[in-house]
Amino acid sequence: MSAEPILSVRDLVVEFRTEHGVVRAVDRVSFDVFPNETVGLVGESGCGKTVTGLAILGLIPSPPGRIASGSIRLAGRELVGLPESELRQLRGRDMAMVFQEPMTALNPVFTVGNQMMDILRRYKGLSRSQARAAAIELLAKVGIPAPAQRIDEYPHQLSGGMRQRVVIAMALSCDPKLIVADEPTTALDVTTQAQVLEQIVRLQQEFRMAMVLVTHDLGVVAETCQRALVMYCGRVAEQADIGPLFAHPRHPYTAGLLRSLPRVGEAEKQDLAVIPGMVPDLLDLPAGCRFAERCPRRDARCDGELPDLDGDAASPARVACFHPL
Amino acid sequence: MSVAATRRQSLWSKAAWKLRRDRFGMLGLAVVLAHFVAAVGVWLGLWATGWGDVAGGKWDSVSSEHWFGTNLIGQDIFQRSIYSISTAFEIGLIVAVLSTLLGAVLGAMAGFFSGRATDEFVVWLMGVLDSIPFYLLVAAIAFALEGNPWSMHVAMISTFWITTARLVRGEVIKLKGLEFVEAAHAIGVPEYTIIFRHILPNTFHILLVQSTITFVAAIKSEVILSFLGLGVKDGMSWGLMISESTFEVLAGFFNNFLAASVLMFGLVMAFSIFSDALQDALDPRQVS
Amino acid sequence: MEVLQYSLRRLVAGIPLLLGVTFISFLLMVYFGPDQTYQLLGKNPTAEQIAEIRAELGYDQPFLVRYADYLREVATLDFGNSNSTGELVTDLLARTIPVSLMLILPGFLLGNLLALLLALLAAHYRSRWPDKGIMAFSVVGMSISYLIVIIAFQVIFSSSSGLGWFPVRGWNVHSLAEYLEYVTVPTLATVFVALGYNTRFYRSVIVEELNRDHVRTARAFGVPPAKLLYRNVLKNCLIPIITRVVFTIPLIVISGALLVETYFGIPGVGKVTFDAITTGDQPVLKAVVGLTAVLFVLAQLVVDVLYRAVDPRVSLS
Repeated sequence: MSAEPILSVRDLVVEFRTEHGVVRAVDRVSFDVFPNETVGLVGESGCGKTVTGLAILGLIPSPPGRIASGSIRLAGRELVGLPESELRQLRGRDMAMVFQEPMTALNPVFTVGNQMMDILRRYKGLSRSQARAAAIELLAKVGIPAPAQRIDEYPHQLSGGMRQRVVIAMALSCDPKLIVADEPTTALDVTTQAQVLEQIVRLQQEFRMAMVLVTHDLGVVAETCQRALVMYCGRVAEQADIGPLFAHPRHPYTAGLLRSLPRVGEAEKQDLAVIPGMVPDLLDLPAGCRFAERCPRRDARCDGELPDLDGDAASPARVACFHPL
Repeated sequence: MSVAATRRQSLWSKAAWKLRRDRFGMLGLAVVLAHFVAAVGVWLGLWATGWGDVAGGKWDSVSSEHWFGTNLIGQDIFQRSIYSISTAFEIGLIVAVLSTLLGAVLGAMAGFFSGRATDEFVVWLMGVLDSIPFYLLVAAIAFALEGNPWSMHVAMISTFWITTARLVRGEVIKLKGLEFVEAAHAIGVPEYTIIFRHILPNTFHILLVQSTITFVAAIKSEVILSFLGLGVKDGMSWGLMISESTFEVLAGFFNNFLAASVLMFGLVMAFSIFSDALQDALDPRQVS
Repeated sequence: MEVLQYSLRRLVAGIPLLLGVTFISFLLMVYFGPDQTYQLLGKNPTAEQIAEIRAELGYDQPFLVRYADYLREVATLDFGNSNSTGELVTDLLARTIPVSLMLILPGFLLGNLLALLLALLAAHYRSRWPDKGIMAFSVVGMSISYLIVIIAFQVIFSSSSGLGWFPVRGWNVHSLAEYLEYVTVPTLATVFVALGYNTRFYRSVIVEELNRDHVRTARAFGVPPAKLLYRNVLKNCLIPIITRVVFTIPLIVISGALLVETYFGIPGVGKVTFDAITTGDQPVLKAVVGLTAVLFVLAQLVVDVLYRAVDPRVSLS
């Protein structure tokens, strides 16, 4: 990895106040993202991956949520504790987010161009006509055919894939240092998914951006990311480069996830493995390892003690397990 | 039916738990209950029995004998305002229960037969009644019924059911697509049994909240209708007291006005707060 | 062209409503309404006189014939003369409706605009103390009866035991200064009552919109909160707001001012209509009810066209 990280998250803790008590949705998560790199945050729903993404942009709904402790640095600048007004200046310009639901992510009563030009004019100080030209160019870049016409259409006139491309174009409009993409293709149908994903990879390389890709889909991670963090119950279970992660998973949870992934050629020969048991309730977490109850390698120590990631932030591969594979 | 029944049960226990934690809501409920106790006492003849007796002079001021003074002809204002609590509860309860029932039945039928003639008729009727100005409709009903003491109730019920029916209709349209209704269809349960035994109980949270809202609306309407001469005919009510007071206040005598206004404000506000709390507890999707 | 075609279709679709409103009102107010026969006759009338006046009033005709006659009157806007004053009904309405509008419009506009402002403020500070304060005020406002507010405001601002700044009752308006004198207290009362309901309604509409995904997107792209409200959210909220405002208009034209008019002795259309009901002045009743129904059909049309203007997803077909 080259030079300084664009994004550096250290010991991030995010808590939500609920009727039944305080829930720790993200618990001491640390990772770096370097320039021109895509890092995946993988896990089941509720594992804290989306909340981590939102926390980076300072978009945790508050109340009930808050960043309880930890540090998030963007290009060396501390974001935790930054006043909302300053944080806002960074959003859309230095960091941008692409959301899961393209159908509802855009405002239905404004044209696509209107929503794109708003950002371009605000941050780049462009005139109306300049902003329009820039927006058309961006739409072309994300692969929207006939962008000069599309720009005057309303979101409901576009397909889901097209809408997601518009949001991606918006995210790219100010050449941000970092893009957080939260399940950008999950809501799309399979063929569109592949196209949009390919586009994202291409653009990420073209713009040489750092990207955090939040997904539950290990297939997506394999295609787009250089590194990934596997999360479970708000904690990082394992962090490694994609090659080793897929070839030699060290955390039993990662291994379980990989076994539940269908592979071409093997699919007919054997049933997909299922991880037994259920994700524990965040309000009622076990004292020890949170995966213990579902883990084939569990022993007494796992029940009594919470494993931390081994190594330090600079380590290429880390795992939080007493009995790694 | 066990799926729907369980769903209902957990909704209710969660709601009760949430409601008990809502301090303002519980305070509202306490004030409403205090009013209710006063009303029950009146019904049982325990107090405010002398509300119609002439027991003092014109506009006597506050004294140990007449806590709120007396009115123009020397009747005790305290007793009259307490007696009016029972009138308010009579009107509120009758109107709330009957318009909720009517709204539930018509709304459920419209929703279940949505797109068919029954639905079109109910929707048309709601649109029509909504388009007739409320006070004109009440006046018209009052005169059509030739001074019948229940004309005010009839008028209120004939408009207040509409909101409930709209909400129930919407909910039933949603519910009838669910599996348990389709299952009931599949095993040949008659349509009206499905509507009233299987679907309607699942809209009970809407009915409960709506009936509290209607209760409040009825009490507030009574005051204005009584002022217009269309309200309470026999007995005493806050509306009649306030009507009485309209010329008194210009002469600088406020006891009648204040007694009725403050008691009514207390009941209406407490009931509204309780109603809000109930809605918060019962409708998790509600934003507020 | 599209709009014109649509409007025609819409008006045709409004016919059932028109029929419904006129039918129910006719049934209640005219058919079962007060019988005027003996009020219009002298003492000890003969059977012939009675029959004559009944024929004149149309009482001897079968129900359907009377109703059909009424529909014809609505279609031609010819309602004849008022039974009680002898004035041409259309003149009567032309005289009283402007009074009601002048009386109620300032309160209506202020009541909505101020409420919208308060609601935006509350939504902006959602769950924090300005929001709680505004909503508490709203519940208090909603819990006080309109009548009580009118009485209290009259005592405070107009009566000799209060400030005595404005006339206690009446409507003697020949100049702007006189207009302001007479309209102020009713307007204050109307605004006070309307604020509670309207603020609550607007806030819930705005908060619902604020919870939508597109608002999160806007926030993720650094849109400042104030701009988020007035640019991104307000336009989205216009549909429920338009619906509420437009559908209130027919009611305020006809009866919204009834209570204020009665209390302050102002000769508006609400008072005239109310008197017509109590005396059984059929020509006036028929005109008012017909007018209300027509206004509602028009309101429906206006609402649909406005929807189209604010929300691109709504099409007129």
